[in-house]
Amino acid sequence: MADEFTPNIVGFLCNWCSYGGADRAGSSKLDIPPSISVVRVMCSSRVDPSLVLNSLLWGADGVLVAGCHPGDCHYKEGNYFTRRRFAQLEKVLESLGLDPERVELAWVSASEGQRYADVVNDFTEKIKSLGPNPLKKTPY
Amino acid sequence: MASEEYRIGVYVCECGPNIADAVDIDRVIEEISPLPGVAVVKRHKLFCSGEGKEFLKQDIIDENITHVVVAACSPKDHEATFAGVCKEAGINPYLYQIVNIREGCAWIIKDKEAATKKAISYIRAGVSRVGYHVPLEQLELDSVPDVLVIGGGIAGIEAALSLASPIRKVYLIEKTETLGGTAAKLAGLLPYQGEGPGAIKSKIDAVGENENIEVYLESEVEKALGFFGNFEISIRPHEGDPVELNVGAIVVATGFSNYDPAEDKKWGYGKVDNVFTALDIEEQISSGEIKKSKTAPKKVALIHCVGRDEVGYCSGICCNYLFKIANNLKETFKDANITHFYRDLCVPNKNDEAFFNNLKEKGIEFVRADVSGVSKGKSGIEVAYTDESGEKGSLDVDMVILAPAVKPGEDTERIAEMLDITIDETGFFEEEHLLLGPVNTAVDGVYIVGCAQGPRNIPDTISQSNAAAGAILSRLIPGQKLLPEVKVSEVLESLCTGCQTCVNVCSYGAASYDENKGVSVINEAICRGCGNCVGSCPSGAIRSKHFTETQLHQEVIEALLS
Repeated sequence: MADEFTPNIVGFLCNWCSYGGADRAGSSKLDIPPSISVVRVMCSSRVDPSLVLNSLLWGADGVLVAGCHPGDCHYKEGNYFTRRRFAQLEKVLESLGLDPERVELAWVSASEGQRYADVVNDFTEKIKSLGPNPLKKTPY
Repeated sequence: MASEEYRIGVYVCECGPNIADAVDIDRVIEEISPLPGVAVVKRHKLFCSGEGKEFLKQDIIDENITHVVVAACSPKDHEATFAGVCKEAGINPYLYQIVNIREGCAWIIKDKEAATKKAISYIRAGVSRVGYHVPLEQLELDSVPDVLVIGGGIAGIEAALSLASPIRKVYLIEKTETLGGTAAKLAGLLPYQGEGPGAIKSKIDAVGENENIEVYLESEVEKALGFFGNFEISIRPHEGDPVELNVGAIVVATGFSNYDPAEDKKWGYGKVDNVFTALDIEEQISSGEIKKSKTAPKKVALIHCVGRDEVGYCSGICCNYLFKIANNLKETFKDANITHFYRDLCVPNKNDEAFFNNLKEKGIEFVRADVSGVSKGKSGIEVAYTDESGEKGSLDVDMVILAPAVKPGEDTERIAEMLDITIDETGFFEEEHLLLGPVNTAVDGVYIVGCAQGPRNIPDTISQSNAAAGAILSRLIPGQKLLPEVKVSEVLESLCTGCQTCVNVCSYGAASYDENKGVSVINEAICRGCGNCVGSCPSGAIRSKHFTETQLHQEVIEALLS
């Protein structure tokens, strides 16, 4: 049987909401595919667009950035900045010949375990349909 | 030198059966042990137990461990616990990384093989990352317990009285020549028209008698710099030299202003005789002037919602105070016909509705209508209106009382700019969170109370003043050191181009521009460590401590390698 493509997704989660949502998914023992590797940051606004680009250049098939819902940012308005940077990042990705669909911005609160599971599962399916990252290279 | 070598200790928690059943820990140990820098990989059934913590501490000491990785539960559960153990074992707590293999792995991946692989990947990331950790130190700052209260109305007075004590001085700054603000001018207090000025006067007297409250009348705050626990304040009296003060927190109680009915001709204010605002009448009732007027009013119109369309919100207090005034006039002038013209009634509190019903029993009339004009009529004043059914009508009266909308205080913008706090779309000071932080602001240590935050009545104002006082009392304790966030941002001056993007994006005013050096500077005492400035810096000149580019990159690389 041919190996099914298992995507490698890097997920930057904000400490206060989305990481809490991931924890809630964990304590609710929901099924989350191993495709996602979580990197905790204090705020989604910490996610420098270059972190996303680097992840793709190092071979990530998809990058998820998740933060508090708009209006609920622990740092007041960090996620608004994230949203703006993301809109620009998508254009940069296009100009580099990368499919903007490979990056996803999601809002997940600390109580939304099921939503976190849905976001990760849906994004994993989406990346599966897109196939492996064409830029994938072997690190080192 | 041996002491400079990396000896990373990796400690895998079984969490009872939680991790042990889902992840093959023996295989984890087998795969992690050969990684560069890893000195030991050990397992324990429950590292967060007393015995587990003792084991961890002793092993760090015995094995001369320099960096610690604990693979266990979510950092939300025990990151701080193991940081404490590292400290006890003599290791800087920032030379440690917790790896979440329970919520992030054991509990969500049902296939043991896949879960084991994931755990190995996460622990590799932790080992990789911890190699790039640097020791960080907790700053300890002296704090000033004293408090500045801006505004000597009922909101400021109440806050000052709650805060002042032999161990805490309060500086109460008032722009005008007297304390008491609007409340002192009122003819009676809602809802039962208590003594009014008398009740406020006793508060003002209490301020005067309190030796821990220093009152500055006819003075304004000119400058405020600093952060929670340590603000430098400059007060400018209208006459005389500026006064410099040092305080730990600031309460903004600057009150409100009123919509000026003269802005719209239709209200007749300032043009037609005997057209007053509610405050004009309150003062006339207080001073007894209203009784002295030669002709007692026979027909009075009270008009609600004056300027409501212009400000765009319901002030929420006008209906009640107009009821109070109507009642007062009815008691003074028993034969007077009193008519309310209202669009909507706002009668929310537990005692207000009974009061309203009582007015109707006394014969006071209520007409739901839009008032289209107040003008000089053939016999007195003509109030023209369109009622609910769309029919036009008019009423001749000899006195009109307008309830103008409550607007932000005149100094709101200046004070917001000075304190670096924000104003919302209504023009009032903006709270940190409408539901969860109603007296807090964007700046830690600066609180907004009373009508400075939005239109409200006296009991709600007093509640807010005490809420702010309580928040300050619980946090600003004399002699206690302030412990600011450790994982803050820092500017790498050699890379900074001075574009000031960070200054613009920082929600806390922690980033500023040093004109001499031409670079940005981050005040570590104010920075909360969100990293927004890092994400925005076009030249990569800002590093967020403990979440550096390199540290995060290690996590990404390991995720993609395995």
